[in-house]
Amino acid sequence: MGPLTSKRVFSVVALCMMVGLLLLPVVVALPSLANGEEVSAGDAAKKDGEKVEKGRDVYYKTEGIVVGAPAPVTTDGPKDYPRYNFESRVLLWFANQQHLYYGSFVLAVPIFCMIIEFMGVVTKDKALAKRYDQLAYDFIKISLTAYSLTAILGGILIFTFLTLYPAFFSYLSGIFRPVMHIYALMFVAESGTLYIYYYGWDKMREGFLKWIHLSMSVILNIIGTLLMFLANSWIGFMMSPAGVDEQGRYLGNIWHVIHTALWNPLNLHRILGNMAFGGGVVAAYAAYKFLAAKTDEDRAHYDWMGYIAMALGVAFLIPLPFAGYWLMREVYAYRQQMGITLMGGLLAWLFIIQATMIGILFLSTNYYLWQAMGRMRGAEKYQRYIKYLVFLLASGFIVFITPHTMVMTPAELKAMGGQQHPVLGNYGVMSAKNGGINVIITTTVLSFVWYMRGNKVSTVSWAKFGNIFMGVFFFFAYINIIFLAIYGYYIPANVRVGLSVPQVATTLSCLFFMFALNSFMMKGAKQMGAIEWGKISARSQYALIMLATAFTWMMGLMGYIRSSVRLFWHVNEIMRDNSPWAYTHTVGFAANMISFNVLFFWITILFVFWLGSLAAKKVPVEAKAGIPGSVPQPATSH
Amino acid sequence: MGNLITEAFSMGWMALAILAGLMVYFQMSISDPVAKKRAVFKTFIGIIAAFLTFAAIANYSNNFYGENRLLPMSLVMITVTTFVMALYFTNLSALLRIGGFMFFVAAFLSGYGNWLPQVEGGFPPVEEKKTWDSMTPQQLADEGEKIIFGGVGKNKEQGAIGKGQCPLCHAFHAGMLGERAPNLAGLPGRGKERIEDPKYSKGDPSKRDYEVKEAFPGSGTAENAQEYIAESHACPSCYVVAGYGVKGTNDKQSPMPSIHKPPISLSLPELAAVDTWMYVREGIDAPSFEELVKSYEKFIPEADRPKQADEKPAGATSLMADGSEPVDQIFAKAQCVACHTIPGIPGAMGTIGPKLEEGTTASQRIKDPTYKGTAKSATEYIMESIVDPSAFVVKPFPDNTMPKVFGQKLSAGALKKIVDYLSQVKTGAPPPKI
Repeated sequence: MGPLTSKRVFSVVALCMMVGLLLLPVVVALPSLANGEEVSAGDAAKKDGEKVEKGRDVYYKTEGIVVGAPAPVTTDGPKDYPRYNFESRVLLWFANQQHLYYGSFVLAVPIFCMIIEFMGVVTKDKALAKRYDQLAYDFIKISLTAYSLTAILGGILIFTFLTLYPAFFSYLSGIFRPVMHIYALMFVAESGTLYIYYYGWDKMREGFLKWIHLSMSVILNIIGTLLMFLANSWIGFMMSPAGVDEQGRYLGNIWHVIHTALWNPLNLHRILGNMAFGGGVVAAYAAYKFLAAKTDEDRAHYDWMGYIAMALGVAFLIPLPFAGYWLMREVYAYRQQMGITLMGGLLAWLFIIQATMIGILFLSTNYYLWQAMGRMRGAEKYQRYIKYLVFLLASGFIVFITPHTMVMTPAELKAMGGQQHPVLGNYGVMSAKNGGINVIITTTVLSFVWYMRGNKVSTVSWAKFGNIFMGVFFFFAYINIIFLAIYGYYIPANVRVGLSVPQVATTLSCLFFMFALNSFMMKGAKQMGAIEWGKISARSQYALIMLATAFTWMMGLMGYIRSSVRLFWHVNEIMRDNSPWAYTHTVGFAANMISFNVLFFWITILFVFWLGSLAAKKVPVEAKAGIPGSVPQPATSH
Repeated sequence: MGNLITEAFSMGWMALAILAGLMVYFQMSISDPVAKKRAVFKTFIGIIAAFLTFAAIANYSNNFYGENRLLPMSLVMITVTTFVMALYFTNLSALLRIGGFMFFVAAFLSGYGNWLPQVEGGFPPVEEKKTWDSMTPQQLADEGEKIIFGGVGKNKEQGAIGKGQCPLCHAFHAGMLGERAPNLAGLPGRGKERIEDPKYSKGDPSKRDYEVKEAFPGSGTAENAQEYIAESHACPSCYVVAGYGVKGTNDKQSPMPSIHKPPISLSLPELAAVDTWMYVREGIDAPSFEELVKSYEKFIPEADRPKQADEKPAGATSLMADGSEPVDQIFAKAQCVACHTIPGIPGAMGTIGPKLEEGTTASQRIKDPTYKGTAKSATEYIMESIVDPSAFVVKPFPDNTMPKVFGQKLSAGALKKIVDYLSQVKTGAPPPKI
């Protein structure tokens, strides 16, 4: 066993021990919390000679001893719904959304740091390793200021709950009482680890200490993820309650309360969503620094940073629809009515907005990649074909967002001869939409492939065959997707639904096989020229900002959809919302509110960025030596 | 547009004044003519940009709750402003351009959301099916109190109001002033006296000198106190207590609506619950539930009886109007029509409060030296008058007549419709379209 290997093994053991020690109190506490009250309540009842009241879990259908109070039946008035002269729900919406934005950001950034720092540690190229290390440091620096804001916003959120929805909050905190202090303690652990991780960066720069430092980022992320899981259990409980009886009385098993029908799908969806969002925010930060940069060196560094953040964000964006699909499937399995309200009822128009957002995200990503090819010598050969990709994307996008029925005046309705346009109406159906979105994703994959091989020429012996194979593969992928979309019009709807499977499979095949094949072909490829970091157009940075704003907006939109699907229930089917605001707002109002939240978040975080630039330390000279643009970069750097 | 400019100035005058002061300072203090010109010009651009931003914010806040498709224009205005600012303030150029671009993206998405069909989810269905006939008198009385005041134990709370809306006009405790309707303290005992009043014409409704002779043809008159209470609910204009009639009718017509009809639409069991509370709170044994319902059946024909709350598809909301109704219905549901004359609104002939021609009068009242409210525009004044009626009381009407609960009992959408309508009603002009 070499010295490096033994260090790695030792650090892994140390890491495991640290994680174990940190989680020990939680592990020890959970079973006793889950059973302790049940037992003690039961004992107390027996001692008093009273009859032990049992209840039946609304979700798990198990029997348990009633240990909690029933959900309060609220009435509209100052006792249950005290208020300012404003809609309380909107105030809570604002407080919640801001906390979530910042929370997501500070949970996502350490994951990026962990990945980038790890890349820096394992890479053999010293200059590149320093660049990665510096980048990870920059990332955590951004999140540190946002971290305290997250805590402040959390406090504001709790105060908002306490002052405007006291009955609801006291019920929910009564149910979750066994884990609330664990939540608080984990927050303390998260803060402590983060500060050691950040302030120990320079001290733990080399050798074994670097591995310990890297291990700390793993711990940081484990704690952060558990924190988020616990927070998710609240909203999971509100949407699909478990661990309580029909009256909302807690039955003593906290695990049932946490592990509700929608908890895990929500967890996965939120992790991926946070990562995509975090990538967007960091990319916007890089874009801001790029546009404000005074020197070529700075421009090069922030161009690279923006690219990495965008790539990470999009990497997590691609699986997000699949996680969303799982969540929706579980929603339908839990309550079909809830699924229908989301996808085919009251909230269905919001999903049309979501479709537009998805289109915008992919268009922005493609635009950025095409602009990025401008800084590569040798990529010119692809640029003349970009117009065809634009055509494919635009066609796919227009079909994807075409609504089935349209908003019309009676005169327009008469002129058109019906609710649907004779031509455009055909593109509003699901068959066409599936075709549209799959064309968009496949084209994005193609743009990425072109970008990855922009300044390179493959030197493998089978290069010609490989190129032809890739071309043919993409060609038939498009043919297959479009053919299935058209074929869908000729078959019954129930069979048509099944066509989405081969369409998605085609897209995923392009993603995985073509990326893998391209990587093989580009191994040891001949470089036509270096990537000239910093020589990218300013327009590309606006694409990054568009991406970040759209991510933020979409997050607000989907959060609103998820929350409003409960309609007039605080806790679905357990505790009714009897406030005057137990109705669902119009799409327009929701859009205005989301815009307000998005802009408030961005104004504050731009302020945070600006504050950060005021307090920026001079980057150490040795770190600057590795900044891209100053030396030719290896081909593997993107 | 004029309003918007005024609001922008009133909102941002301090910032604008500081910028103007700065401009003067630069003009006076900088000696280098090139630097002076640059500084003054930049500050001038700053003043225009700040003004545009305030106008955009004013537009946004005015239309926050509305379905105004021009709302995102505010965001576009801010975008243009930031880009113009970025040209002149190069130190903050990147920040301003990024911010402006974000505003543009948000404007686009807001506009898109407002362009789509606007669907609003309704209120929840009623909570539970009540088994009225098996309730004890106390339980019935509690239900009655909830219907009148919105909750058990709320009968002495100022402004407490339930779906029956009774406290809008009636007082319920001795010594409390009820200017628009009789105080209902002691009603069960007083019922007997009322039916002996010659004007009541017990047993012979045709001799009555009121707008309505009988609740419905053949219903007859009340024979006992409970029937009198039931008749008062079902047919308020069959007998009007002296001094409480609609002004100008010589007490021949009552301003009170029939309680079993829209907008209040209490069912017979709900009315029985209300009456039970009236008895129980005075320590009197109430008639049985069946007797109470029977008393109402005498004055309300089968076809007019509202279905019980639990049979309705939706209802049981504490809001008087949720904003989905046309404005005339909102006025009716909130009972504005009982006290105010509102041009263009059918049945709005009330004289207890001032005639509402706010398109003309609102701006005059803001300028009134005795005005102490915070409204700066006509729309703000109207909103203030609804949610805080005592902010300015029109002479010669008395204060504390109009309930202060409308801010909580009308949805934001309903309030906006009222404000929109009233702001268009002008003296001497034809009323606006509903």
